[in-house]
Parts: sequence; C-alpha cells; structure tokens
Amino acid sequence: MKTRTLLKCALAALVAVALATPVWASEPVTAQFWYSYGGKVRQVTEDMVKKFNASQSKYRIDGSFQGDYFQALAKIRAAITTKTAPAIFHVIGEAMPDLWQSGMLESLEPYIKATGVKPEDFVAGLSQHGYFDYYGKSVPIFAIPFNRSMPVMYYNKDMLDAKGVKVPTTWDELRAAATKLTVREGSDVKVWGYEVPIDWWFWHGLLYQAGGTLLSADGKQAGFRQKGGEALQFWVDLVNKDKIMKRPPGKDYNAWEVTNTDFINQKAAMIFTSTAFVNYLTENVKFKMGTAFMPAKQTFAGPTGGTFFVMMKDATPAQKEAGWAFIKWMAEPAQAISWSQNTGYICVSEPAIKSAEMQKFYQANPNYRVAYEQLKYAQKMPFAPALIRIQREVIQPNLEAPVIGLKTVEETMAAAEKAANDILAGK
Amino acid sequence: MASLPSIGRPKRQTLLGYALILPSLFFFGAFYLYPVVYSLYLSVFDWDLVRPMRFIGLANYRDLLASAEFGEVLGNTFRYSLGVVVLAMGIGLVLALLLNNRTALSSTLQACIFTSYIVSWVAVSLLWIWMLDPQYGLVNYVGGFLGMPPVDWLGNHRIALWSLVGVTVWKVIGYPVVIFLAGLQNISQDYYEAADLDGAGTWQRFRYITWPLLTPTTVFLFITLTIATFQGFDIVNIMTQGGPVHATSIYVFFIYEQAFHYFRIGRASAAVIICFGLILTLTYGQHRLFRRNVHYAQVG
Repeated sequence: MKTRTLLKCALAALVAVALATPVWASEPVTAQFWYSYGGKVRQVTEDMVKKFNASQSKYRIDGSFQGDYFQALAKIRAAITTKTAPAIFHVIGEAMPDLWQSGMLESLEPYIKATGVKPEDFVAGLSQHGYFDYYGKSVPIFAIPFNRSMPVMYYNKDMLDAKGVKVPTTWDELRAAATKLTVREGSDVKVWGYEVPIDWWFWHGLLYQAGGTLLSADGKQAGFRQKGGEALQFWVDLVNKDKIMKRPPGKDYNAWEVTNTDFINQKAAMIFTSTAFVNYLTENVKFKMGTAFMPAKQTFAGPTGGTFFVMMKDATPAQKEAGWAFIKWMAEPAQAISWSQNTGYICVSEPAIKSAEMQKFYQANPNYRVAYEQLKYAQKMPFAPALIRIQREVIQPNLEAPVIGLKTVEETMAAAEKAANDILAGK
Repeated sequence: MASLPSIGRPKRQTLLGYALILPSLFFFGAFYLYPVVYSLYLSVFDWDLVRPMRFIGLANYRDLLASAEFGEVLGNTFRYSLGVVVLAMGIGLVLALLLNNRTALSSTLQACIFTSYIVSWVAVSLLWIWMLDPQYGLVNYVGGFLGMPPVDWLGNHRIALWSLVGVTVWKVIGYPVVIFLAGLQNISQDYYEAADLDGAGTWQRFRYITWPLLTPTTVFLFITLTIATFQGFDIVNIMTQGGPVHATSIYVFFIYEQAFHYFRIGRASAAVIICFGLILTLTYGQHRLFRRNVHYAQVG
C-alpha cells in the first residue's frame, strides 16, 4: 500500500507541475513589454509604463527589464524557441534586418492605417525608413522609433577655457586640442585629452567622416577596408603615438561606463558618447559641460543609434492591440517630449520638436539640441540581414587589437572585410 | 542499474527504491542527461534559434578546430587552469600545514580563509574590479607606496589572464586548505612518533610520511580543481568579458559567446561536446597517472 501511495503522490505532483501554467482571462488586455535599460533610463521607462497604465483602463502593459540590448536580444531569441516571447520589445537598428527577414516580426502598416498615425510625423532621420538604405527594395514599416540617439562630442568647458582651446571641428583640430588638454606628471597621465570606447558605433561614425561607407553602393560587398582603416589608424595614433587618448578597458557597454566615469571625474577632457547620456552627465558633472558635433575629416557624420519598438507576430491579436496602444501613446508629442527631456534621447516626434515647449527647452538646454542638429549628417545603415553579424562578429571584437598593438590596422581591416564578404555571401 | 530478480515480479522494496529516487532521477535526467544528449544533436546543425535548423554534418567541429580563436581559447583555458591548480594547491598545502593544529587561532584563521570560498563569484568579481582598477583601485594604491608603477591589471592583454588567476586563487583557496587539513588529520600520529624515534627531521617527516599519505587528497584536489577551472565562467563574464581582444576568453565563456552573442547554437554545442571530451580525457589521464603513485594509509 505504501508504495502505491508514494507512486500516486509522485504522479500527482508531476501533473500539478504540468498544470501550473496559469490560464485565466483577464481584463484589461495585457501585453508584455521587454526593455533593456539600466540606471536612470530604466527608471524613466518604468515611470512611463506606470503612467500609461494609469492613463486608461482598457490596456495594461507589463514591463520587464532584460539586461542590455545584446542580452535582451539573446533572451528574445530563446523566448521565441520556448514560445514565451513578449508582445512588444525594443531592439537596436542593426539587428532589425535579420529579425525582419526571419519572419518573427509583425508589419505595423495595418496598425498605422487603422489608428490614423502619420508616419511623416516621426523625425525623418530617426524613422525606420530614414535609418535604412534598402537598395531599392520595398520594406513595410515594422518598427517605430523609440529611444533614438546619435553619438556626440562632450567637452569639459572649464578645461578648454583654461587652456584657451577652441572646440575642435576637424580631426586635426581634435588632435591638437587633445594634445594641449592632456596633463602629464612624469610618465603618469593625470588628464587625457580625449577618450572614446573602441566600439563599432564610433568607428562607424569615423568611417563615414573619412568619406567611406560600410558596404558598396549596391549593398552586396563590404567596402570599408581603406576608410575604415583610416578611422582606426586615427585612434591607434592618438593612443600609441601621441598618447593623448585613453583606451577605456572593458567590452561593450563597460567601456562606455568607464568613459563617462573618467569624464565626470575630470580624467578626460573630451569624450565621444551617446546623446542619451546628456541628462545623466549634466546631473553628475561638477564643471561646465558642452556638447558639439563629432569633428569632421571629409565631412561631419555619425550613425544614429538606440532602438525601435517592434511587435512579435506570434502574439495574440489582443496582446498586439494592447502593445500597439502603448507604442502609439509613447510616440505622442507629450510622451515624446517627456522621454527626451528626462533622458537626452532625441525627440522622435516632429510636431513635438516644433512645439513651444520643446523649443523653449532647447533654448535653455542647448546641449540637448546638438544631436538633433547633427541628424542632417546622419548616415544610413544597410538593410542587410548580415548587418548584425558584421557588427557583432566582424568589427566589434577586432577593433581593439591594433589599438593594443597586437595586429596592424591593415591586417585587421583586410581580415574584417573578407569575413564580412563571407557573411554577405551567406557562407 | 540494479539487477532485478530474473524470475517473478520485482520485489516491492526495489519498486519503492525507484519511487524514492524518482524525483532526483527526474531532475538529473531533465537538467543534466537530456541537455548533454541534445547538445550532441544540435552540434551537427546550423541554427540561430529563430530560423529553421539546417543539418551541416561535422562542419561546426571542422570550423572550430580550424579557427585561430578557438586555439587561443584552448591556450587561455590551459594557462588559467594550470595557474589556478598549481597556485591554489601549493599555497593551500602550505597554509594547511601551518594550520594543522587544534588551537583557537588556527580555527579562526581557517574560518577566515574559507569565507571567500562561500561568497558568490559575482560579489568577488565586482569587488576585485574595484580593487584592480588602474586609477582608483586599492592594489595600485598600495603598490604606489612600495614604488610600483601603476599596472592596468585587467586592461593589459599580457597581464589580464594572470590577474584572473590571482583572483580565482584568492577566491577558492579555502577549498584546498580545508581538504588538505582533513587529509592531514587522517594521518595517524603513530608514524610521526616512529619517525621521531628514528631521528627524522621536519623535511624528512614531510617527504616520507606526510606527502605520500596525502596523495589521495592531492589527487582528489587536482582533479576537482582542474574540472572547476575548466568550467570557469562568471569571473570572466563579469570582470573582462574575454577581453582585451581574446586575452581572457576561456572555454565556457567562449561557448556562451558563440551561443548568446553570435547565436551560433550549433557551433556552441560542438564546443560543448569537445569540452566534455576534453574534461573526460583529462580526468581519466590524471587518474591513470596517479593511480600508481597513490599511497593509502592502513587504517586500524
């Protein structure tokens, strides 16, 4: 008897576990939203989700934090396999062609039409169509700009003034300014003239500033070897020859954090980082801070960054409806303004930017406006599924080697171009 | 498998036994055996988690073995493993010999040494990121007083891996100390008394009594530490993410990177299988190597 009872108990326990997945009908309609910000921006996001839920009773958004962009991307993929993906999430532009091609994302055209959203109200350079070069293909809107940014140059105005240095507008001026701003004590550097994460995003900016492009004009071949090499050589020289630039250690966003910390602690006079940190840096620096365009070589240029909202095809119609309601609400001028002012991301709504409120804000806080103005020099990204692999596998992990002195710039770029072409060819 | 009686129904007791181990057997199967077998299956496919899987035979294994990065990763893993095993066992043995008495001071010191072993890897890694920071860190600050130039512990590609070795040894040192102490306390005092009568010195006592009778412990530590270091991950993921360039990319981190940074699930699975084979071979080899040289004390 005892044995049988035990077996029964074990079986009952197994069945209970299997049935534990809750199935209930709930009012209001709820949709999951996965986001990936840390620190201050996370707080702002959570506040906006709360505000949305309080603003109406029909829909409810359940936001949950999923680590940085790349960690979140991994979780999304894993969640697709296990069928636990959220209705909406936000994703970096570079990953979008791959995700779209895989067929997991919903086209947003029907939602746009049904709810009267005007695509032209989005700031052109920040919208999906402004971000991508489709090489003549026709792609529907499947992504709505959310937190969109550009890299800009931040400088310690007190340091520049003290040394009589003007804000640099060209690579040569940047080099001269950084030389003057670097403070040495023996072999120890007390203040670095310039610091930037050795990262795909900034390299991409320098590539276009030097007059290069990532891919050939038809988007079929990699074409960054020479100009990308020029961009990388610039850093290699500043770090190793002139010793006026600090290479922040750490991978991905760790290096970004080091850069911000050094700037705040006045260990670096000029840095490149995202406009998204305007709010954070303004609140934390104890000196006069300015922002400016990244200096030009042949031209001013810079990629846009940040993320877009996207919707999962696998979500239920009700979840999609709720998710879209949130996306639409976030893009309305009032929310777009509040989001931008509280973070530093570029305001995505054209009517919002034209509003008296935003104009007044820009006047009082000119550092927030620089990225918006720099948008006219923004370069497009190729709409190629290979883009994310080129970024993550080919460029990002290999930029550091020449700066450390492990490889030459030529070797690095030649190998990278070959690897990129292999990926483009589907190898 | 337990052998069942060949005639008649299995005994009630046997059934009860199976019922009792069913829960743990279930978890063992679901979370250990099944993933291993499934990895083997995945390793012959090209899969990015989203698109349909594509069978590619042994291409993942070929790509891995041909890639320069994989070679670097193997080299890093062996260096890291060897560094940690040798240092942790060497320092651990010395500490254990010093602490091998039953005084209150010894117990307190043992407890202190063991605390770092209990603390989570995440906490230890974060702590040491700060300690090793080239500008604001305590290590360079103290080093400065001793006239040492500032060192970029985690940013310099020649030093970074050894910094991780150092942190790992600091973290795990309590483990070999405790195991060695247990081994030492198992050695009967009779041997030492006899040696004293024969006029043996400290070194001779160690060389001819302690060391040989400690070999079962040594072998155990060697194998467990080797396996543990081959499975190292958190410290790299938190402190260096494998950088600068690939200088600190060790095996499990490489697998993680392939799977969750690059979404090359097949290639990551192939690396898992190679790792499995590698650890198996190493363990077996160590076992063979030591079998002849292990001395077991007669108890009783």
